[in-house]
Amino acid sequence: MSWRAPAVRRTPRDELAEETAHGQLYLAQLRRAQLELSLLGLVAFGGLIGSLPLLLVLIPGLEHIRVLGIPLSALLVVGPSFPMFVAIGAIYRRRADALDESFRDLIRDE
Amino acid sequence: MIIPIAAVAAVTLGTVGIGVWGVRFARSTSDLYVASRAMSPWWNAAAVSGEYLSAASFLGIAGLEMQIGVPALWQAVGFAAGYLALLLFVAAPLRRFGSYTLPDFAEGRLASRRLRYLAVAAVLGIDTFYLIPQLKGAGIAFSEVAGAPYAAGIVVVAVVVALYVALGGMRGVTYVQAFQFWVKTVAISIPAIALLIYLGGLPDQSALFAGGVPRAPAHGLVVSLDHRQTVQWPAAGTFEVGGRTFQATAGEKLALGPGRVSLAPGAVVPVAAGTPAQTGRDWARPVQSRGEGAPLFIYSLLLATFLGTMGLPHILIRFYTNPDGPAARATTVRVLALLALFYVFPPVYGALGRALAPGLYMSGQTDTVVLQLPRLVWPGFGGQLLGAMTAAGAFAAFMSTSSGLLMSIAGTISYDAWGGRGGASLRLRRRRFRIVATVGMALPAVVALAVRSVDISILVGWAFALAASTFCPLFVLGIWWPRLTASGAAIGMVAGGLVAIGAITAGVVVGAQALTGPVDSILTQPAIVSVPLGFVAMVVGSLATTAPADVSPQMLALHAPEGLGLEVLDRARA
Repeated sequence: MSWRAPAVRRTPRDELAEETAHGQLYLAQLRRAQLELSLLGLVAFGGLIGSLPLLLVLIPGLEHIRVLGIPLSALLVVGPSFPMFVAIGAIYRRRADALDESFRDLIRDE
Repeated sequence: MIIPIAAVAAVTLGTVGIGVWGVRFARSTSDLYVASRAMSPWWNAAAVSGEYLSAASFLGIAGLEMQIGVPALWQAVGFAAGYLALLLFVAAPLRRFGSYTLPDFAEGRLASRRLRYLAVAAVLGIDTFYLIPQLKGAGIAFSEVAGAPYAAGIVVVAVVVALYVALGGMRGVTYVQAFQFWVKTVAISIPAIALLIYLGGLPDQSALFAGGVPRAPAHGLVVSLDHRQTVQWPAAGTFEVGGRTFQATAGEKLALGPGRVSLAPGAVVPVAAGTPAQTGRDWARPVQSRGEGAPLFIYSLLLATFLGTMGLPHILIRFYTNPDGPAARATTVRVLALLALFYVFPPVYGALGRALAPGLYMSGQTDTVVLQLPRLVWPGFGGQLLGAMTAAGAFAAFMSTSSGLLMSIAGTISYDAWGGRGGASLRLRRRRFRIVATVGMALPAVVALAVRSVDISILVGWAFALAASTFCPLFVLGIWWPRLTASGAAIGMVAGGLVAIGAITAGVVVGAQALTGPVDSILTQPAIVSVPLGFVAMVVGSLATTAPADVSPQMLALHAPEGLGLEVLDRARA
């Protein structure tokens, strides 16, 4: 097919730099993916911490269980919350950085 | 008396030393406002945590826990959770956008001069509400540990902080705050651990987790009341004033003082007004049927702290000092870990205080339990030394939070409000920054001297509610929703802010602090209403106004990852 004039090759990077419709679409996809990930993190937080006060009301028996002399219900407020924040935060960070990385690959490779 | 003063002096000198050492880094505009965006995640995380852990965390949580019980610990959970929200929705895009201040972001994102000034007003309101209680806390704590007049602590903290902020700018402040995080963590953890070892664990008392109420220890208890106040007996008991013995029935309220009241060994300890008289079992219940343990109050508090943190200007400007977006994320995860480490310890003081320092219930000084506990339970040099540590930590807390707030006030006024942003030379900028830093501290200091009677928690409550109802919707929608308009943003910020302030003002007027009715929770902690309202007003206001012109440059700046080789981006983010 050597007779066809070579098409001007526009890379995603050019599209992005020139803010063409295509470039905006790439970026909107990334934004949506990041937002979905953030909302997932929010759901995880809401489910785990948001349900804690309710859980403590619904299971009053927890206050009779003692761990190191302290009622389990009191320990549950602070014990698991902080490690859980760090865990959710660390997992989120890894996946958000990975989304950025795959976007970079998309822009660079083509 | 001499040991705590020496410890406070040591922390103050260390602070000034590092601040002055940091001065040499204040060479450029970028150094002054954003530390040249060159802080590594660990430095930044320690600085963010150092700035964030104010008197409310260092003294307040333990004090409130002792006073009202385990529900107070939800506050610590919320304080930390705020960084998770910040991480999920704000950290990386905000850094990538590459502004110097929050009003800078508001104008850059929505192309509106007016919105910049509205943001300036919100920043100054939030920061001032937050700064006054820090200074008040310094005044009260200094008179507590050193017997100095109320004004002394305020003047010391105000002068020291104004000095190193004015000289060192953001670069200097970052080093100081990172230092102060570790001062605070050591100062809260070592005494807590040492006391637990000294006592051989938590005391086995029925007042702590079982059916008993606090009672005077085996050697009796003498409480000095410095003014006449009403106290209530949770159970029937006896007490002694001026050598005469009196009887009190269960639930009886009596006005006592000023003077010394003696309680015989094992006698029931009465509680000051505002402190619930509860058994150990009720005290240890994390969710209660009323007051600050009621589910509605807990959820509103969690919402205010969860969403309010991302709207605190002095915290957010810290994120501009990260080198790039991923570093901003890394910083936030480290902040969560550092806060998790710190918040292990305040609950220890609240619990030990309930068991071993019941005199504070009677004098109504539970909020000083962190300062007083070591001395009260460990007589002699050991207790004095540990007490000096907690006093030094408290001062580190006042100074670091105050300096962050002053940094935010000075940066906002000198950069956003004083004669346009472009063109000003570094020398001129630096001079303005220093003038504002000095004046910006003088005003809140004078107010703090004047309003000794205003409750600290009311002012901090205003700051958090205002932040959650104004900047939180602005950031979340501004970053993730291209359709947001400048008018919509303004309407949302005004609506959310007015409702938050209005509710709290109404609450103060009708005395909702007592938390007796269901509406009182909302009036005291209005976030559960004002934040959704701010969001809705912003969305409706935006949809009702013309769609913004092309925002793809802004979206590109907010969301495009680093390292794409796009020159336009790299320049904007420098």
